[in-house]
Amino acid sequence: MSHDNSSPKFLQHHFHDVEQQYETAKLGMWAFILTEVLTFGGLFVAYVVYRSWYPEMFVGANLLLDVNKGLLNTIVLITSSLTMVLAVWAIQKKNQKLSLFMLIATFLFAFMFLGIKYLEYSHKFEVGQLPGEYYSYMGPEIAHLNNPHIFFSIYFIMTGLHGLHVAIGMGLIAWLIYATAKGNLNSEYYTPMEMIGIFWHLVDLIWIYLFPLFYLI
Amino acid sequence: MSEHHITPLKTYLAVAGTLFFLTVVTVWVSYFDFGSFNIVIAMGVATLKASIVALFFMHLLWDDKKNLTMFVMSLMFLGIFITVTLLDTGFRGGVNSEVESPINNRAAFYDSLPLTDTHGHPVDEHSADHHGEGEDHH
Repeated sequence: MSHDNSSPKFLQHHFHDVEQQYETAKLGMWAFILTEVLTFGGLFVAYVVYRSWYPEMFVGANLLLDVNKGLLNTIVLITSSLTMVLAVWAIQKKNQKLSLFMLIATFLFAFMFLGIKYLEYSHKFEVGQLPGEYYSYMGPEIAHLNNPHIFFSIYFIMTGLHGLHVAIGMGLIAWLIYATAKGNLNSEYYTPMEMIGIFWHLVDLIWIYLFPLFYLI
Repeated sequence: MSEHHITPLKTYLAVAGTLFFLTVVTVWVSYFDFGSFNIVIAMGVATLKASIVALFFMHLLWDDKKNLTMFVMSLMFLGIFITVTLLDTGFRGGVNSEVESPINNRAAFYDSLPLTDTHGHPVDEHSADHHGEGEDHH
């Protein structure tokens, strides 16, 4: 970094220089990611414990989920992760227009993810594959399974919390679109985009585990 | 900021391509039955994908290593969380057979599902016998 005497206006006075400000923001972001891992961690523990108690039930109940929709959502989310990272790349390369385009694409992919999730959820609400005591589906393919409502409790809580993260991420990306369009972010200062990018990749990362756990095995 | 590492576009595209490829692989593999290795394979592929996302998309590979350390530590603590919990739940009844029971005794557990008619609808009063079954099946 070239040390000119006039400090940029986005540099807050309590930081030594731009680099320190950026690194501090990033450290804070990773501290937040750590708490996110532990939040979802509790739910992963629930999954592991109940799977260890009802292995056959989990293997049988995951057949009730639509693998194609899950696969499509995985592809949609990976694509949105790519467009997000390309938005950061474009702004680093001083191409604000491309960055804006990539952010909008990311937003639309996130919307698509929630749309597919909505189709899945509404089908489950229709047939009664619901958590806990709301479970009422008694179709022939699960006649031999004990306690499938537990599978759906864990399914709805984990994918629901993940879906909430997608929705929050959409709000954050919408704000990034606004800030980039206004020209507030540029190749010198794009910290919010990098941080929201990290959050967005975490959302992708969690889905990478949820997809095989619920749909495949 | 200009001195930040800028990852080449080719790397990002290659990473995304690898992620798509591994996604197809994990779905394809799930159609074969490897017994108890199904979980190992699925989780192995997922962990490989997650590592790629964390190292390249989340820039941990080029970041100050304190960020990677923090992330790995959160996973270590998750590992401890899972292990210690399984030490309890996995061995209930191993010492004392009568203490083997669900964590929440009031939760609904079935020894077998309630009867259904040929359309898969519950026969009668199934909502009434949802509760309270858990306690008396031991």
